[in-house]
Amino acid sequence: MAGPRFTADPPDMMRTVELDGLTALFHLPSGTTHILAPPAPQILAALADGPATAPTILARIRRAFDVEGPRRSGGQRRSGALAVLETRIAELEAAGLVSRL
Amino acid sequence: MSDLEDQKPAEQSPEPSRRFVLALGAAAASTVVTIRPALAQTAGSVLNCQIPVPAPQAAGSYIDPDGHIVAPGTPGAFPPAPRPLTGEEVKVMLRGGPSPAGIDSQSAQAYANYIRRLQAGMSGFTCYASLQMPR
Repeated sequence: MAGPRFTADPPDMMRTVELDGLTALFHLPSGTTHILAPPAPQILAALADGPATAPTILARIRRAFDVEGPRRSGGQRRSGALAVLETRIAELEAAGLVSRL
Repeated sequence: MSDLEDQKPAEQSPEPSRRFVLALGAAAASTVVTIRPALAQTAGSVLNCQIPVPAPQAAGSYIDPDGHIVAPGTPGAFPPAPRPLTGEEVKVMLRGGPSPAGIDSQSAQAYANYIRRLQAGMSGFTCYASLQMPR
């Protein structure tokens, strides 16, 4: 099951400033400013490579990071990480920074 | 980018020289805080604000299907909107709803693309930005 594909505006539509672990992001198309905590900036960076499903976004993030997600019963760490990542994507979607194709 | 990436185990990805640990956080914790400018405090003011298409300084110019401002009479482009569009009309239009009264669907699509390209400082931007605010 592929699941929905997500997309974000290209990086040149955003201005970001790193603030001691947080990221201030100005989204040009909407004129809104957001304060992002990890892993939100990393999700947007992963989407800069093109639209992707949540598992693909996770795969892209894993290229650069060791991902720490909650364990599920039975030690299904990957699915636990995916579930939390989906929650993070939904937050970005609600903020208007990520949309579904 | 293909979703074939899903099939690849992480171990086969090119390994950067330094690995950082990224914590995804607890499901209940939020990682996005939006700072809302005091553009439009009430739903009424958002829906009644207006967006001229094109902006007054480009009055008379046509809008091509991608939303760019082009010279009057450009083949394939559309004449300016006969009146400024209201926030309510734009909101419906951007969601793929029916075109505003008196505007055909192709023109409406071009106008919607023009509005999506609005940036700070352009006429109608504040209205558009207000429509984008998450509620």
